[in-house]
Amino acid sequence: MSTEDTLKPKPASEPVPAHVVGQFSWGLTILFVLASACWVLLPYTGYQFSALVFLMTIVIAGTRWNRGPVLAMGVVSALVWNFIFIPPQFTLHIEKPQDIIMFAMFFVVALSMGHLITRLREREAALEQHHAEREQLLEAKHRAELLAESERLHRTLLDSVSHELKTPIAIIRTALDGLGQGNPYAAEIETANRRLQRIVENFLEMTRVESEALRPHLEWCEIGDVLHTATAPLQRELATHPLRLTGMDALPLLMLDSRLLAQALGNVLHNATLYAPAGTEIEIHAALANDTLELRVRDHGPGLPLGSEEHLFDKFYRAPDSPAGGTGLGLAIARGLMRAMKGDIEARNHPEGGAEFTLRVERVFQLVPSDSKSPQTIETS
Amino acid sequence: MTALIIDDEIQIRRLLRMALESKGYTVREAENGTLGLQDAVFHKPDVILLDLGLPDMDGVEVLKRLREWSQVPVLILSVRDQEAVKLAAFDAGADDYVTKPFSTAELLARLTAIQRRHGADETANLALGGLILDPAHHEAALNGQPLKLTPTEYALLAQLVRHAGKVVTLKHLLRAVWGPQAEEQTHYLRVYANHLRKKLEGAALEIKNEPGIGYRLEER
Repeated sequence: MSTEDTLKPKPASEPVPAHVVGQFSWGLTILFVLASACWVLLPYTGYQFSALVFLMTIVIAGTRWNRGPVLAMGVVSALVWNFIFIPPQFTLHIEKPQDIIMFAMFFVVALSMGHLITRLREREAALEQHHAEREQLLEAKHRAELLAESERLHRTLLDSVSHELKTPIAIIRTALDGLGQGNPYAAEIETANRRLQRIVENFLEMTRVESEALRPHLEWCEIGDVLHTATAPLQRELATHPLRLTGMDALPLLMLDSRLLAQALGNVLHNATLYAPAGTEIEIHAALANDTLELRVRDHGPGLPLGSEEHLFDKFYRAPDSPAGGTGLGLAIARGLMRAMKGDIEARNHPEGGAEFTLRVERVFQLVPSDSKSPQTIETS
Repeated sequence: MTALIIDDEIQIRRLLRMALESKGYTVREAENGTLGLQDAVFHKPDVILLDLGLPDMDGVEVLKRLREWSQVPVLILSVRDQEAVKLAAFDAGADDYVTKPFSTAELLARLTAIQRRHGADETANLALGGLILDPAHHEAALNGQPLKLTPTEYALLAQLVRHAGKVVTLKHLLRAVWGPQAEEQTHYLRVYANHLRKKLEGAALEIKNEPGIGYRLEER
């Protein structure tokens, strides 16, 4: 018994594969043909010759066929040899002691040859498969390494470009802080510097979004925090556009990447402040239905130009009559960020006027307040 | 008071020197990580401003080597604004993180905040923006009125007040308030921070969220 057999006993109920059945019948046919041929040649060769012919057949069969048929051929050929060729013919009885020994030897040699050769072949096949698997693994590993390497290179490049672009902006900003308030020329430089900073940040963010190096980092967060993070860098712009918030308080804690969502929301809000006239409200409505979070941002501006809904989220797209100073990247980034979170963003004109953007994230985990592990229950215990 | 600036940009160093000297700091400069670490050993600065993109080694590596022997407050000053980079810096022992371009006023406020932590008395009353905490009795008052807080809310608020102006990492807050086994349970924090925000309405205080990093209590 080989180890493979003891380790992997075949269930008795498993049907014999068709090709093995074929081998059995082919084996018997071949034996029949050879036995007939040897029978014809018997007067010239003697009965020992046919034993060697049978043995050779078994060895050849062993190099190609499964173990079962080969061993069966061994047994059958031994019996056939005994019955037909060993004198006295057509009995299983053997007269001469040396013939008994020869028959026993034939039996042993045929079975062990069949067994050894098929086992050798099986081992070889297993080894080959093992090699193939190993090569596949190595290749996969190699690919992963290449990918990681290219990501690392990308990051290094992005880091150094970002360093080169942001450092001068930082120097200008700090120098302006040192100059102090009150100088109208300094104020102009500061406005231009802020604009430059926004452009640089947009370009870098667009590159990051496109390189797919963006992996959402999920954490429990509160929609109020997301809103806060989104509006903090927009204090100046939002000073002229009061926010009206609805639906925020009703939301439970949600499992989201708050930074990505906040950035997308921030870009949409910034866009609204650019197009809606100063003094008009921006409404943000949050709702959670069927595990889908929706944030609707509606402004009271002129609305979207007809036919622009399709292109709004394209890179570098700028609607006709857009105010100067935009890069046409803000909404493209917002879409990239939302898609990185397996969500999306859409735009339409609100039936009662103004543009409405809907940010949507599907399949959001939420913290159910009655959960036994929730802090509320810990509090009361 | 000595501040050490480790940054390879000479203009940044010059500008920071002017800003810091005007606030009474004695300023030392280093243009790479090796020189910075040497200077920290020989001159024992009171606070360090550290850039991450240094020519000879990463700023996080500088911070790790520094933290092997020193607890000097370190403010990271970097153009890198990704959450993962910030987290790595905090894990290595940074006290706060300011991204370039920065506002000088904000930078100086953060510097003051990270230095205040050192030497704070554990039992003295903590006062900030109309809020007074009495650690001995676990009581709080807001604008002269007693403020009702549950023990957990009190513990969380005390942590934030003790580190006022400075970002306190989620991990630190969870460990300090709920214990080391709760380090991953950020939802506790989200819920309680929300409770605190509601109770502090009307105070001149704001609990700011730094996404993925932690919370910062600031006076409005």
